[in-house]
Parts: sequence; structure tokens; C-alpha cells
Amino acid sequence: MADQELEGSEPVDLTKHASGIVPTLQNIVSTVNLDCKLDLKAIALQARNAEYNPKRFAAVIMRIREPKTTTLIFASGKMVCTGAKTEYSSKMAARKYARIIQKLGFPAKFKDFKIQNIVGSCDVKFPIRLEGLAYHHSAFSSYEPEIFPGLIYRMKVPKIVLLIFVSGKIVITGAKGHGFDPCETSSLVFYPLGVAKLAENFVLEQRLSQ
Amino acid sequence: MSDVFCSDCKRHTEVVFDHSAGDTVCSECGLVLESHSIDETSEWRTFANESGDNDPVRVGGPTNPLLADGGLTTVIAKPNGSSGDFLSSSLGRWQNRGSNPDRGLIVAFKTIATMADRLGLVATIKDRANEIFKRVEDQKSSRGRNQDALLAACLYIACRQEDKPRTVKEICSVANGATKKEIGRAKEYIVKQLGLETGQSVEMGTIHAGDFMRRFCSNLGMTNQTVKAAQESVKKSEEFDIRRSPISIAAAVIYIITQLSDDKKPLRDVSVATGVAEGTIRNSYKDLYPHLPKIIPTWYAKEEDLKNLQSP
Repeated sequence: MADQELEGSEPVDLTKHASGIVPTLQNIVSTVNLDCKLDLKAIALQARNAEYNPKRFAAVIMRIREPKTTTLIFASGKMVCTGAKTEYSSKMAARKYARIIQKLGFPAKFKDFKIQNIVGSCDVKFPIRLEGLAYHHSAFSSYEPEIFPGLIYRMKVPKIVLLIFVSGKIVITGAKGHGFDPCETSSLVFYPLGVAKLAENFVLEQRLSQ
Repeated sequence: MSDVFCSDCKRHTEVVFDHSAGDTVCSECGLVLESHSIDETSEWRTFANESGDNDPVRVGGPTNPLLADGGLTTVIAKPNGSSGDFLSSSLGRWQNRGSNPDRGLIVAFKTIATMADRLGLVATIKDRANEIFKRVEDQKSSRGRNQDALLAACLYIACRQEDKPRTVKEICSVANGATKKEIGRAKEYIVKQLGLETGQSVEMGTIHAGDFMRRFCSNLGMTNQTVKAAQESVKKSEEFDIRRSPISIAAAVIYIITQLSDDKKPLRDVSVATGVAEGTIRNSYKDLYPHLPKIIPTWYAKEEDLKNLQSP
């Protein structure tokens, strides 16, 4: 089971993803400082795909098609870019927005680009007994079926929050640095912790269906 | 009868406690060792009929260790025969206006007591809820939060900790104005605060359908046999992979069991008693249906009865 092909056409590289599961990145949120004061009204009037409603929110909301992202541009010159699928495309999108601002006449720079949040999802392909997991890892887990159907697992190292569902689907969020791809590391840490407890359920499932 | 050192006999002697006079008397020499001992039991005279100004009750309520000074106060009374001079009648008013450090706490405890009363909860749960609230209040960071939701969440956590969980919907029904979402958020907040304070995370197990069976069944007025069957079914159903909230499973099991008995409860009654929506019970019924032969105990219903059950 460990070397099954799970994602894409290439077999999973087990030296990088020892659990055999590759989380797919869904959203990257990043911030960048353009380092100059901006006139939001002028930007909203001149730029395409920009909306500005000062009564509702004090920032310009701008969108570009490639990469498909949205950004909030504040009067102080700071910018938040969301919606990118990879870290590289988030940086590229932020650069494109900075270019747009430059073309509008503001002396925009590209200071302190930082990725603030990475959201990924993955599937372990077997049902998970959330109660058992909550019992064994009670210090990190919070499982309230009445409030939310998934278990909220707050991992300390790396500092990541996982939403674990009965179906086996997992949402990983809160990852910041991309030095060692915490998204993948967390599923790696989680998988051996969880698999012994949870795989029993999978086996049970198989036997029942026979 | 206890052993105390008597100063006259110069040794430990048997000592008698005389309740009528409040004296501790040495049985050997008759020396009174302590007199006028203060009785700390509750007032034994009751005054249901007496009302008006001269309330002969000599004591106040039990001391509350959670309040700042144990709840002891001195109050300036209103003078008899309606306001003699200006000073004595206003003194009472001015004293009350002074800051009472516990006022917020007292109001909160009163609210918790009202909610607990409406749900019919025992004093242990109420006291625990009070304690939790005080611990959260001690960490001043709870200003500006919806107090109703916070109190409701304290009660919810207290019920959970005493192993008598109440569904959030039940707590919602007695908390004035707090929504399920707000109570859920307040509960997370409290758990985090308590975890920060003690350094060890709060002990609270996950809820199970079985915890609620007894209560839901008696709300519906089911017979003992049906209740027993329902409890067994719910226990067995935990082994199967049914991806539903435990409350929904409980409601669906109750519905199935009542359908199998002579006293068939309509879906609406089960929905009202458990707080689960009718559509949810129907969907849970669909999920349970394939496993029914293994879940329902055989002493309660045979295979044919199960076949008679309507297919979802």
C-alpha cells in the first residue's frame, strides 16, 4: 500500500512523501508591501477589474485572470494576495499586481513578500474513527460532532491545523513557511500516528463488504 | 464525645458537647472548656406564612466560596413607618449604590441557576458551572463577549464534565438569545482559557448517543422494554461506520424502535423530543437501514418485523 500511485501519472516519491500521500495545495495567502501611499479612488477609477466600496471596506479589491487570484490593496501600500494554487504563482501574481500599480503612476516596490497561509487537502482513502483519534490525542484534538462534523487537530510541530473528517479527507491549513513543505510533513507526521488506530477501521470495512 | 486536653485535670479526658447551651464540658471534673459555640447548621425554623418587615429568620444563605468574601454583607434597613427623617431612609439607598465587587458574579450565578432550574439539573452541575464561570472571569480577557452565550457554555461544559451531557440545542432552549454557534464558540473559548490557566487541557470526553437515550425516551413516554431495546441498539450501532452526529443516530434509533413496537410515535414527536430535524432523522434512517438486523436486539423484534418496516 505504501508505494501505490495516488496522485498524477508519476509514482509518488517516497523519499519526499513517506506516507505515500501528496496533499494538493488549494489556496495560498501572501502579503507584500508596495512601500508607497496609494490613492485608492484613483486606482479604482483607472484600473480594470477593481472594486472599491469605502463604506463597506477600506481597500480596493482587484482580480486578475492569470494566475486566478484576488488581492486587497490598502491605502498604506500593503497588499494581501489570495487564491493562488502554488507559492510561485502567488509571488508572480503579487508581482503582476505591483506592476499594475506601477503603471498607474505610483512608485510601487516589492518589499517583504511573505506567504502567510497555505491551505491543502488530501485523502487517506479509508474511513477514520474520529472518536478514537480524539481519545488518544486529546491534548491536540477537539471533536464536537454537534458543532462541526470534523475533528480539529492542532499539531504543534509543525504548527498546523488539520480538519479530519470521517470519510478520510483531510484539510491542512495554517502552514506558513515553505522551507520544508510543512503541508506534506504534517501529513507525514500524522499518518504514522493515526494509521495504526485508523487502519483497523479500514480492514473492518473491507471484511464487511465481502 | 471527643478527646480534648482539660486544664484542670491536666490530661486528655472525655469531653461532652452540650448542644442546648453550646458548652464543651469535661466529663471528669465538670469544667466548661468552651462556651457559646456557634452552630453552623442551617436555620431549622421555617416561616412560610410570615411576611412583611419582621422576618424572623436569623441566618442568610450558605456561604459561597466563589464570591469574594463568602457572600457576607451588612445592609442598612429601611426604617419602620416609612421614612422618619431624610438621613436614615436615604442611607440604605446610598449604601446599595456603592460598588459591590461581586455584583457581576452574583448576577451571573443567578442566571446559571435559572437555566439549570429550567433544565432540571442537580446542584452539583450548577455549582460546577458557577466554578467554571468564576475561573474564566478571573482571566480578565472575557470582556465584551456575549455573556449569555458564555454562561450557557459554562453550563454545557459542567454537564459534560459530570457525565450527563446535554445537547447544545437543549442548552439553547433555556439560554435567552444565545444561538448554537455562539455557544459553540464560547465553549471553545472557555476550554482554551481553562487550558491556559491550569496548563493541562480540560478533561471532556466525546458525546455518545447512549448518553442521551434515557432522557429522550422518557420525554417520549416509552415503556421500559422499548427503552432497553433502544439502548442496546444504540450501543451496537457504534461499531458500524455511520457518518452522522450521535444525536441524529439516537433519534433515528428511537424512531425505529417505536415503529417496531405497538406504540408507534410519529416522526414529528420524535423530532420534537430530540431536537433533531425530521429530514435528518429520515436520512439517518436510510443510513441505518442496511445494518438493522445486526443492531436491533433479537429478543425485541424478529426478522419479519424488520421486513415490515418501511424501506427508506
